[in-house]
Order: sequence, then structure tokens, then C-alpha cells
Amino acid sequence: MSAQVSLSCDRIERYLGEEEERVHALRGVSLEIEIGSVHAIVGPSGCGKSSLLYILGLLDTPNAGHVSIETETVSHLTDDELAQKRNKFIGFIFQFHFLMEDFTAQENVMIPMRKLGELSDARMRDRAAELLDGVGLGDKLRRPSRHLSGGEQQRVAIARALANDPRVILADEPTGNLDTANSERAFELLQNLVHERGKALLLATHNPAIAEACDWIHEMKDGRIIDSQVRNRLS
Amino acid sequence: MTPPLYIALRFLTHRKRALLLSLSGVVFGVAIFICTQAQTQGLSRYFIESNIGSNGALVIRSRFRPRYEPLMVAAKNSKASTSRRLYFEGITNPNEIMRVSRQFPDVISCSPVLRGTVSARAGFENATVDLYGIDAALHARTTDILRQLIEGSFDDFRNNTSAIIIGSRLAELLQTSVGDTVQLLAPNGEYWRFSVAAIARAGIGSIDSTRIYSHAKVAQALLQQPSGASMIIYKLRERNRAPMLASRFETLFQHNALSWQEREESTLQLFLTLRMSVAITVSLIILLAGFGIFNVLTMSVLAKIKEIAILRSMGYRRKDISAIFLWQGALIAAAGSIVGCLLGALMTWGVSHIPIHLRGLLYTNYFLVTWDWRHYVFATLLAILAVFIASYVPARRAAELPPVVTIRGSR
Repeated sequence: MSAQVSLSCDRIERYLGEEEERVHALRGVSLEIEIGSVHAIVGPSGCGKSSLLYILGLLDTPNAGHVSIETETVSHLTDDELAQKRNKFIGFIFQFHFLMEDFTAQENVMIPMRKLGELSDARMRDRAAELLDGVGLGDKLRRPSRHLSGGEQQRVAIARALANDPRVILADEPTGNLDTANSERAFELLQNLVHERGKALLLATHNPAIAEACDWIHEMKDGRIIDSQVRNRLS
Repeated sequence: MTPPLYIALRFLTHRKRALLLSLSGVVFGVAIFICTQAQTQGLSRYFIESNIGSNGALVIRSRFRPRYEPLMVAAKNSKASTSRRLYFEGITNPNEIMRVSRQFPDVISCSPVLRGTVSARAGFENATVDLYGIDAALHARTTDILRQLIEGSFDDFRNNTSAIIIGSRLAELLQTSVGDTVQLLAPNGEYWRFSVAAIARAGIGSIDSTRIYSHAKVAQALLQQPSGASMIIYKLRERNRAPMLASRFETLFQHNALSWQEREESTLQLFLTLRMSVAITVSLIILLAGFGIFNVLTMSVLAKIKEIAILRSMGYRRKDISAIFLWQGALIAAAGSIVGCLLGALMTWGVSHIPIHLRGLLYTNYFLVTWDWRHYVFATLLAILAVFIASYVPARRAAELPPVVTIRGSR
């Protein structure tokens, strides 16, 4: 891989649960995600896809191994510093979209920007409107998130993940809750963003069609990456 | 506006019923605290004002013999014992004591009083009365006697040596009014005739039902007292300095000096106990309100568990999450305190207009209240403290929630 590495992990070990319920979720997983590439992780339920995603997204800490953002190892960072990295460098998209239901679509997209605190209120509103327009929700800015359909909510979640212009987008089955048409639309949207804006995308999916459309497919089984295939040539 | 405050405001305003429940607890707690404190302190302050207005902030009474024991060297094997202070009734040289004490900047004025207990008779009614022989001009300057007159004229008293001023309840007891004659029994068995020039109401039952004011010279002759004054009463600029001044006067004049705080200690303690008791009861209401807020915020943490996880995934720190819930508490405390203070003032005003017919320890036709900004500050501080304690645990719990567990659990 000659392209610039955006996010990587090295020999990650992760145990979940306590005592007799303890599960070895990740067993020495290493992965590199480059700018401008879309990576899919596939595998059966419980193989460790989500666990890997949470560790790469700095939401969880590994029992062994380390995660790096670009060239910086983040294992030694404090909880506050990790939160700051998440805010600035990583955008999350979850299967159940997790929008803040007391807020409108536009306000949901502004929440990460408020935390970053780099833009004025007016600029945040404009940027949120631009992002929502980009995902086809320009006419539903002020609609409360709970009044949006599942597909629309997922698109708001995509716009929100892009709010602080992160270098890496991590998506945990982003289309798992959508119908075929909405799944394709959401994935195309993400794919275009990665290729046009130089982001890196890692998504966990059960959808073979989506996996096939990615640049890389990593197959996981029992906490290990057992196969990595290049599907499309990276620019 | 910080992001936690922004989110807290939204969380609060979107749960109107819970907000109303939390707010009403704080509002009523604060309002009831203010109103009850205004009432209990109103009673206490009225008693103090009336008492000082009648008996002075400080009083000098009997002379005592100076102690020389500290100068004495005890004989060997003798058991040195401290003898009790020896008092002589009445004031020795009252004019000189008054002249010197007027030099003190805290003293506004002072007035000599010759006091004695006599029997009074009017028509067919008899009563044992407390006779105060006073210098009309000095007494008017030192006490609130002019303000206390409810019938008659002080000038009629001042210009007539056989005139008296009689306490309002005593007048009722003797069935006399202004212009009537009251007879006082001298120690030698003779009755002296006086005309009632005015009726005074101090507002304190024990004064109004026993006291008669006459001219000092007349009282001295009637009581057959050699001394011109049995006490001197003082009006002070700062009544709270009375104990300090009493101590100095005792040393200086070798006379027993009593501050109003010492003189009315038992009654003041009664009022204080009443006030504390009410304060504790009402504080419990505020604590209960705090418990309500604790429940509301704990429910809010549980309801917002997914939002907390998503905020954490977006880079919000533990302290930001904690701040969201602490801000909710702070906003409830602030809004509740402001509305509670306004309601408390309104309730206090309302209570002060409720007619009551109190004729015992105190005389009043309406509930007595006092307007004191400290009640509002204390109630607000109490509400803030209760709400902070109530918000702290849910806020901490929210901050400690591991986002991954929530996100995994939602799959």
C-alpha cells in the first residue's frame, strides 16, 4: 500500500465480558486504511467486526496492540484527548442512526461542530445546511429528527458524521436498517465523499453487494482477519 | 452558549412534564421557606422592637459593691472562697451616670425610671401594677412612648403632675378611659388619686396589662423611696452593641447593667427555637424537591442513554456529559429560585394581610411578617445546594456510562 495511511491498528487483542463469559473478541488484528479508500469488513455476526470498529474509532480500548491516526499512536492518550481526536478526525455512522430526537436535522448535524467550536453559529448553520443538501435533505433542515423516515435519518447521520470534515469515517452496518434503494443511495453517497473529498471509509457490513463495491474487503472470522482482497484499484 | 448548556436546555424544555414537576418542588420549597421565615422572624422582631421601645436597649439597675478579692493575698491553709456580689437597690447618683454615659457615641439618649409595685383601684376593679416614675421629656426621647399612645395626649400627661399614662390592657381591666380617675395605694396605706391622661399600647401583653407611668417626683413620694431612680434605660444607635456596652457600664459605674438580649433571653430563645423548627421542616420540603429532581434526572439519564453514547462517539468528554445534567439541575435551581422568591414575597404579602386577633404575649390584628433579603438568599442557597446534590449523582452516572456498551446493546 503506497497511499498515505490515515488510520491503522497493529496486533489488536480484545477480550469482552468477565470470568466464564469472557470472550476473546479480537485476536491480533492488524489493518491499515488509506486516504481515498473504502474498506469493508465482512463476516458472520459475533466475528469481531463491530469490536474492531469501536477500537479503531477510539470508543473502546484494546487489551493489547495499538491504534494510530496517521503517524501518531493514540494508546497513551487520556480519555479527554481521545474524545478530542474522535471529534476532529473520526466520523461515526451507526446502524440505528442514533440521532438526538429533541433536535432538528440541522441541529443534529451541528452538534459535533458545537463541540469543536471552530465555527460561528451562523457558519455552523450554513455548513449543516450544505451537508444536508448534499445528502438530499436540503428541504428538511428544520424537521425534528423523530419525524424523519429511516432512510432520511440515516442520511442525517451521514451528514453529521461529516460535520467536522473528519479524515476517517467508520460505519457499523450503515445500511443494515434500510431498504435496498436507500441502502444503495446511502452507500453511493459515502463512496463519492471518500473519493471526491479524500476521506477514508471503513464499514462493517453483511450486504455482499456493498462489500463488492468497496476498494478492499477484509473477511473476519473468530476475531481474526482471515482474508484481505483488493477489489478496485486505488487512485 | 457552551455545547453542554445548549444540550441541557433542549433536554429540559422537551420534557415539559418532568420540568414542571422539578420546578414546582423548588418553587414551593423556596416560597414556603421565605414565607415561614418572614412570619416567625416577624413575630420575633415585633417582640424585640416593642420591648426595646418600652424598656430600652440597655438598662442600668442596682449598684453593687466592688470586689476586692483579686487584690487580697489568701492566708496559708485558708480556703479562699469568692463571695457573691452584694447589691444595693437603686441607682446612686443617676445624673452623674447619665452625664458620663451620654459621652459614649453609641448612646442616643437615656432616661431615669423609678420603679415600684403598687395596687391600683378604679371603680370596683383592682389590679397590681408596675409603676414607672419617669421624666416625661427624657422618656419620650429614649422610648417609643409617643408612638405607643392610642388614646389621650402626652402633653396632658407632661403638664399635669397628677396625670398618668396607663397600659391598654390594664385600662380594659380597670374599665377606665382617658379622663377617668385611678387610685394608687401608697405603702403607708393612703390612696393617691390620678387622672388618666393617655392610654399606651406597647404590643406586649406583660407590659400593657401591668404598666402605669407617672411623674418621677410623684412616684418617689408615693413609693416613699429615698433614691430618685431605680434604673436608667438607654436608647442606642446600634442595638446589637448593647451587650458590649453593658459590660463596659458595669465596670465603669459599678452598677448592674443588662442588655436587651440578656434581659429577654428566655423569650428570644423561644422565638429562635420556633424559627429553627420551622426552618428545618421547610428545609425538608426543599430536600424532598431535591429528591424529586434526583428522580427526574435519573430517569432522564436512563432515557437519554443512547444520546449520551452518541455524544461520546462525537467527541464529547465525560465532563461535558456530566455538565449537561448538572446544567439541567442548575437551570431548575435558578428558575425555581427566582419564581420561588417572587411567590414567597407574594405569599408573605398575602399572609401579612390576613386578620388575626392576637391578645396574648403580643398584641396584633394581622399576621406579623418581616421583609428580610437574607431569607431570599438563604432559601436560594438551600435550593441550589439541594439541587446540586440531587443532580450530581445522575450527572456522574451519565458521565461514567461506557458508550460502547450502549451502542453494542442497541444492535
